[in-house]
Amino acid sequence: MAISTAMCTSFKSELMSALHDFDNPGGNTFKIALYTSSATLGASTTAYSSSDEVANGNGYTTGGNTLTSVSPTTSGTTAYVDFADTTWSASTITANGALIYNANSSNAAVVTLAFGSDKSSSNGDFVIIFPTANATDAIIRIA
Amino acid sequence: MTNGFGSVGAFEIRTTQERGFTVEEIAEDLLNKLLFISSEAHPAIREQAIAFKDRIRPAIIHYMKQAVRSDRTTLAAQLGKQGHYDMAEIIRRL
Repeated sequence: MAISTAMCTSFKSELMSALHDFDNPGGNTFKIALYTSSATLGASTTAYSSSDEVANGNGYTTGGNTLTSVSPTTSGTTAYVDFADTTWSASTITANGALIYNANSSNAAVVTLAFGSDKSSSNGDFVIIFPTANATDAIIRIA
Repeated sequence: MTNGFGSVGAFEIRTTQERGFTVEEIAEDLLNKLLFISSEAHPAIREQAIAFKDRIRPAIIHYMKQAVRSDRTTLAAQLGKQGHYDMAEIIRRL
């Protein structure tokens, strides 16, 4: 069981089939789900699954948080997408990784995020801070 | 993380125990979002950007604290209206 940070291979193919629309407003709904260290997530992940997801309750809802996306843009030859930081408030959560997926497209996987170790909140906030939206740092980039 | 033609950027996880984030912690995140200083920036531009960041930090913290206080006033008022005077007082004294 392991979680790695990766752009899902199925997502690359689905981009070419126009299955994902990151425009805001008007695009698809993207969500982020948290997983325990028992999960296996990586480039081969194809869709959201509740297996080994953080349990419902204590500030976490199965399926995860809905992300607010920033419409795709380009800089030089790189296209990128950004999301607003997301918070699970007043939560008690232990998570080892996350999956961003498209809730409007059969829950198709987009990227998997490895936290590197268990991260925990206890009656507190659990926040994922996305990187600066530019061609070298943005969370999802296509060069 | 580079993965063929696509890349996934470096994100951060922040958590708290038995509290929320402080205004100062959130203000720092906001400043980092508002003002990104490239590692390749000219030293003079870098210094100017850092100086600007330091200049606006107190103003951001001041208004964020005001927002928190104002929200607590609303919460305390709502709790008081519902007869929860003890809870309203706890919120007021935070």
